[in-house]
Amino acid sequence: MTETSTTPARREESAGLMQYSVENLVPFGPIHPALKEPEYFKLVLEGEKIAQVIPRIGYVHRGLEKAAEMRPWVQNMYMFERTCGICSFVHSLCYGQAVEELTIYQVPRRAKYIRVIIAELERIHSHLLWVGLMGHWAGFETLFMWVWRDREIILDLVEEISGNRVHKSMNAICGVRRDMPENMESRIVEKMKFIEGRARYYREIIDTEQTMLERTEKIGRITADTAEKLCAVGPMARYVGLRHDVRLNDPYAAYDEIPFDIVTRKEGDVHALLRLRLDELVVSANIVSYAVQHLPEGPVRVKIPPIIPAGEHASHCEAPRGEIYYFVRSTGGRTPDRVKSRQPTMANLPTALEILKGQTIADVPMVLTAIDPCFGCMDRMAFLDTETNRQWTWSGEELRKYGINYYRKRKK
Amino acid sequence: MIYQTILEAIIFPGTFFTIGMGFLFDWLDRKTAAHMQGRIGPKIAGPFGILQPIADFLKLLLKEEILPSHADKTVFLFAPALYFLAPLLSMLFIPIIGPAAIASFDYDLLVILFLLAYAAFVVAVLSYSSASGFTTVATGRLILQYVSYEIPMVLAIVCAALYTRSLSVEGIVAGQSKIWNIFVMPFAFAVYIISLMAELEKPPFDIPSAKTEIVAGWLTEFSGRALSFLKLTKEVGYVFGSALAASLFLGGGLGPEIAGVPSSLLYFVYFMVKLMAVGFLIFVLKTSLARIKIGQATELFWKILTPLVLAQITLVLALIQGGVLVAS
Repeated sequence: MTETSTTPARREESAGLMQYSVENLVPFGPIHPALKEPEYFKLVLEGEKIAQVIPRIGYVHRGLEKAAEMRPWVQNMYMFERTCGICSFVHSLCYGQAVEELTIYQVPRRAKYIRVIIAELERIHSHLLWVGLMGHWAGFETLFMWVWRDREIILDLVEEISGNRVHKSMNAICGVRRDMPENMESRIVEKMKFIEGRARYYREIIDTEQTMLERTEKIGRITADTAEKLCAVGPMARYVGLRHDVRLNDPYAAYDEIPFDIVTRKEGDVHALLRLRLDELVVSANIVSYAVQHLPEGPVRVKIPPIIPAGEHASHCEAPRGEIYYFVRSTGGRTPDRVKSRQPTMANLPTALEILKGQTIADVPMVLTAIDPCFGCMDRMAFLDTETNRQWTWSGEELRKYGINYYRKRKK
Repeated sequence: MIYQTILEAIIFPGTFFTIGMGFLFDWLDRKTAAHMQGRIGPKIAGPFGILQPIADFLKLLLKEEILPSHADKTVFLFAPALYFLAPLLSMLFIPIIGPAAIASFDYDLLVILFLLAYAAFVVAVLSYSSASGFTTVATGRLILQYVSYEIPMVLAIVCAALYTRSLSVEGIVAGQSKIWNIFVMPFAFAVYIISLMAELEKPPFDIPSAKTEIVAGWLTEFSGRALSFLKLTKEVGYVFGSALAASLFLGGGLGPEIAGVPSSLLYFVYFMVKLMAVGFLIFVLKTSLARIKIGQATELFWKILTPLVLAQITLVLALIQGGVLVAS
């Protein structure tokens, strides 16, 4: 391939930007204090207002889907857990469920309950992390510090149950690796009560604190129609009133046995998102308490052979950020033939770009963080020639050759 | 006599004392915020980490200084020094160890107002000289914020001056021997404190240096010595703003006499207590608030605080005319 394959896209991009003067272009990222992970957004400003946002993704693409094809089924489970550093468990859960459907084995009931407990603890920890970050982006450091201190409680509980704080490594195909420790029931219920109280307290803060209200109310408005058209998932769908939640719509693990209701809000602004996630903390805390108190007896794991029968299956779960989706295809070997995953950030990015338009630059961190972005999960790569509309894929070896040729030409 | 004045101006209670207070305020600020947020804060350098700001200052002095290629070099290099002068010079007009300030004269309040405007102007020029996208946005915000807070701030100061019938800080302090200005004009004091927070860029008014939006705002391109002095100047400005509040509204160093204690020491102690009280008020306020947007800040200052302070001035003048209050 020649290097012209990338230049037309560049040329078009710069032609589109010619109408704006350089002073009006503010780069947002790839390295920016408001972004936890590298991602690039080119903001075209008119004064303080944003006229256009041009995203460029792919800075932390790691090729996990390809890597999965070279690893055994079980190993993949722990690799996919490392897709995300925050909602790690739900990735392995979703992948595991897809694989389990291909086998003839059933997941024990106790394991399903333990999965729910871990998944909900993870949701609480993820939402707390997000609320803290929102405080940070709004310049409200105290909220950040307080919320993250409460998050430690969850991390400690998770460590006690699974042995790890972040990457739980708790799932196995057809079960979980460790049983719940003895005598934790009352302690977990007590901690959940505490978290519930804190969630109510933080809700009071964000509802009454005037500076916080001014930063969040009527910011990032979107209608339910637009959100549905742009395929928003998770909290980004629920905050405009859409009842999208995989836990309720298509229950997995033990969610069909646990009584709970999802939260939705109508307003569709950043403040509604804050309220929504804080309310979800209460729901999740109640689910954990219920699951711990109604934990069935029995084994937690079924041993399975290392070869998974041929077939294909898709699975979806409700991650803290929204719906995640895994597709698995097996040809009856020791490794998967193909694994495809779709993370909620990818699904929510079009919505984020839509609501960024017309906001002021002061709102960019708030609105971008509002979707709870996780760019490391999301990054994808594709080759596309905009002049001929040709798409293609390269193998690792071809990519290497292209790189060598490219730099050899540049040396001349 | 002249040597004594020079010594006072340079060492105590002049430049060196002010810079020391700047470091102390920095430490207090960080420690208060840390304890309010459930952290520990600085604790390694010196007892309770009290030397941490000095350590940070010295460390920055030793760092490499990078000159941006687009920057206006002359302004970029000299403006930090010009900025550093403003709060240091202003402190000389505030009586600290006795009823007489070091460099007091009849209309020194006007000089202080000039120096406040001068500092804001220098920051805007300095920010613009570094010529990057972030500092350009920051300059716009700085100027808009300055235009917003200056009017209510000056009106609040004018309110104190009107009541005490003096245009020098010394005179205003002396005029509060019967009753402190804060009891006569509580709203003027509140407006002054809010405007001061905007001037110092403390939350909720840290808009020109919002780190999650425009990196470090107008400080983005600075490094090494310039950065260390700019940071120090911000802290010294903090001390000066609090000292002015203590002098104009809290009666400076005035307080009950205690037999056997030298009056200048007592004056100094009272002054320091009030200075710390104002500083502490700002530490607590800034830790418990989120940042607002520039438009909201302008709206707050123009639509709410300016009418409020004007009403306060009218009320004070009416009370004097009606004979309820006696102008001192």
